[in-house]
Amino acid sequence: MGAYRHFPILMITVPLVCAVLLPFLGYLRERWVPRAALVPLSVSTLLGLLLVGKIPAQGYLSYHLGGWEPPFGIEIRVDYIGLFLLLVVCGISLLAMVFSPRYIGKEVSGGRLTAYYVLFLLMSGAMLGFVATGDVFNLFVFMEILALTSYALVAITGNRNAVRAAFKYLLMGAPSSIMVLLAIGLLYSATGSLNMADLSARIAESGYTEVLVVSFILFVIGFGVKAALFPLHMWLPDAHSIAPSPISAMLSGLLVEVSAFALLRLTFSVFTAGNDAIIGGTSEAVSVFAAAAVLYGGIMAIMQKDLKVMIAYSTISHIGYIFLGITSFTKEGLAGAMYHMLDHGLAKACLFLCAGCIIYVKGYRRIEDLKGAWRQMPWTCFAFSVAAISVIGIPPTAGFISKFYLIYGNFTAERWPYALVLLVGAILAAVYCLRVIYYMFFQPDKRGAWEEGGGDAPASMLAPVCLLAAGTLFFGVFSGLIIDSLLKAAAFLL
Amino acid sequence: MKNLLALLFIIALAALLLYVAANMPPMGDPDNPTATHVIPRYLEGAEKETHTENVITGIILNYRGYDTMGEVTVIFSALAAVLAVLGRERRGRIHAYVDRSTVPSSVIVRTMVRFLVPLIVLFSVYTILHGEISPGGGFQGGAIIGGSMIVFTTIFGLYESSRRIPQKVRFPLEGSAVVTFFLVGVLGMVGGGNFLTYAWPRVAAGLQPALVTWLTVLVEIGIGLGGAMVLTSILFCMIREEEEIAVVA
Repeated sequence: MGAYRHFPILMITVPLVCAVLLPFLGYLRERWVPRAALVPLSVSTLLGLLLVGKIPAQGYLSYHLGGWEPPFGIEIRVDYIGLFLLLVVCGISLLAMVFSPRYIGKEVSGGRLTAYYVLFLLMSGAMLGFVATGDVFNLFVFMEILALTSYALVAITGNRNAVRAAFKYLLMGAPSSIMVLLAIGLLYSATGSLNMADLSARIAESGYTEVLVVSFILFVIGFGVKAALFPLHMWLPDAHSIAPSPISAMLSGLLVEVSAFALLRLTFSVFTAGNDAIIGGTSEAVSVFAAAAVLYGGIMAIMQKDLKVMIAYSTISHIGYIFLGITSFTKEGLAGAMYHMLDHGLAKACLFLCAGCIIYVKGYRRIEDLKGAWRQMPWTCFAFSVAAISVIGIPPTAGFISKFYLIYGNFTAERWPYALVLLVGAILAAVYCLRVIYYMFFQPDKRGAWEEGGGDAPASMLAPVCLLAAGTLFFGVFSGLIIDSLLKAAAFLL
Repeated sequence: MKNLLALLFIIALAALLLYVAANMPPMGDPDNPTATHVIPRYLEGAEKETHTENVITGIILNYRGYDTMGEVTVIFSALAAVLAVLGRERRGRIHAYVDRSTVPSSVIVRTMVRFLVPLIVLFSVYTILHGEISPGGGFQGGAIIGGSMIVFTTIFGLYESSRRIPQKVRFPLEGSAVVTFFLVGVLGMVGGGNFLTYAWPRVAAGLQPALVTWLTVLVEIGIGLGGAMVLTSILFCMIREEEEIAVVA
C-alpha cells in the first residue's frame, strides 16, 4: 500500500476545507477568489487521475477512516465504477468552475460572489464524498451537504423566481432526505450495521424481510426525488432552468447522476441484484416509471419554448434511460447506464453552458431567438450541436455508445417494450435537439438580432464548452478504453 | 384533484410505515440485530480504545468521526446558504435597527438576562470541555451559546448583541469546526495512521491515551466554537432580514 491509499479522502476533504477557508481570501482580496477556487478542484482531479490504473476492474480500494475496521468505523470504498464517476465529477466541476467567473460576475452581485464559490466547492466535495463512501449513513451526511448547497445555489441570484424555484426544490428535497434517513434507520434496525459490504452479508441472513422491503422502497422514493425520477421530477424544470447556467450544468450533469448512482450502489452492493424477495417488485415499478420518464421528458422537451427548460426536460428523459439500464440487471445495461452518466454529464453540462454563453452575450432564453445564431456565435453553436448530437445518440458521439449498450442490455434481458421505449426516446430527442440546431444554422435571422463578427462568448467561457463537446466526441470514438472495464466491473457487481 | 392525490399518497405512506412498524424487531429486545452486532464493541471497547469515558463521544468523534466531520460541514453549508440568500449584516446599517428590534421590556427582565447570560455561557464552556467525560460536547455547548444569544438578542436587540460578538470575532471562527477536524485528520496521516486516526502509530504507546484525549478535547472545542458562531451568525442574519422588511414596510 503506497501513499495513494490516502488519495480518495484527500480528494473529498481538500475541496471541503478550502471552501471553509475561502471566505478569508474573499475578505482580503475578493478578485482572487474565482481563481483560488480552481486550486482545490484541480488538486482533486489530479489525485483522481493518479489513481487511474491503480484500481482493477474487479477490485476496490478500501480506506478505513480513523483506522477502525469496517463495521465499526467508516469505510471509503472506491471501486472501478466509483473511480470512473469520481473523475467525471472532478472534470465537469472543474470545467463549470472555469466557466463561472465571467457569468457569475454578471448575474450575482458582489458580496455574494464569495458565497457562490464556497457553496460550489462544498457541493463538489460533497459529491465526491457521496460517490466514494462505503457507508450508508455517511452517504446521507454527504447527501445533506449536497442538498443544502444546491438549494442555495439555485437561489443565489436572489431574484423572485430563483428563490421560488429553490423553495419548491427545498419542499421536495427535504421530505426526500427524511425518507432516506428513515430507510437507513430501518436498514439498521433489521441488520445492526451501516457498512455497505457488511450490510449485504447481513441482509442475506436477516429475518426481517418486510422491514428491508420498505427500506428499499423508501430509498427509491428518497433518491428518486433527488434524481428527478418521474413522477418525482416536479422541482427539476424550474430549478435547473432558473439556476445560473454553471449551476444548471452541475445539477443536470452531475447531481441527478450521482443520486442515480447512489441507488445503483444500494441496489447492487447492499441489497444485491439477485435478491428478488426484497427488490423485485420495486425494481419492476421503477422500470415502468423510468419508461414513462423517457417519454414524458421527451414530449415535454419538444413542447418547450425556453431553451434551458427544454434542456431540463431532456434531463428528466435521460434519467429514465439510466434507470432502465440499472433495472435491466444485465452487465450491458449496467455498463450502459454508467457510460450514460459520463456522456450525459458531459453533454448536458455542455448544453447548459452553451445556453449560458447565449444568455451572457445576448440575454436570449427563447429557442425562437436562436435563428441564425451561428453567424455571431459559431463556437457556441458548434459545441451545442455536438453535445445535442450526443444527447440524441448519433455516432461518433459518446451518446451513441451508451444508448447502444442500454438498448442492448434491455434486449438481452428480453425487455422488448423497454428497448422500444429507449428507441422512441432517442427519436424524441432528435426532434427537440435538431429543431434547435436547425434554428441556429439554417433559419434566416429576420430580425437581424445576430450580427456577424459581433463577438462570441469570452474565451474563459468557450474553452470549457468546447472541451466538453470535444469530450463527448473523444469518448465516442475511444469508448473501448473504458467500456470494456465497465462491462467487467458490471459483471462483478451482478 | 391535486389535493386528492396528495391525500392518497399520504395514506399510502402511512400504511407503509404502520406495516413496517408492526414488523420491526421488538423494541428493547437484547437479541435485536442492533444490540448484537456493532454495539457490544462500542460499549465494551470505547473506554479502552478511544480513551473517552463518554461512549457517545467516543462513537461520534472517534469511531464515526468522519460522519461528524460531514455534519459540521452541513452546519457550515447552512450558514453559507443563509449568507448566499440573505447576505451578511453590514456594520454601518445596524444602527438603524436599534430601536425597532426590541420590544420594550421591564427592568426585571433586563437585569435577569444581564445576570443569566454569562452563567449560560459559562455552562456551555463546561458542556464543551466536559463532553469527553459526561453527557454533552461541542454540538450541545455550541447550541447553548447560540441559545443564550437568542435570549440576549430578543431582549436587547441586534445592535447590542452584535456588539457583544462582533462580526470580526465570528467571521474567523465560523469554520473552526471543519478546519479542526481536517487538521486532526491530516495529523493522523502524518502520524502514520489513516485520516482521523487519533492514536498515532508513530507515537510511543504510553503517550497515546493522553494524545487521544487531548485531540478529542481539541475537536470538541473546535465544534463548540464553530457551532456557536455559525448559529449566532445565522440568527443575526435572519433578524436583519426581518428588520429590513419592517423598515421597508
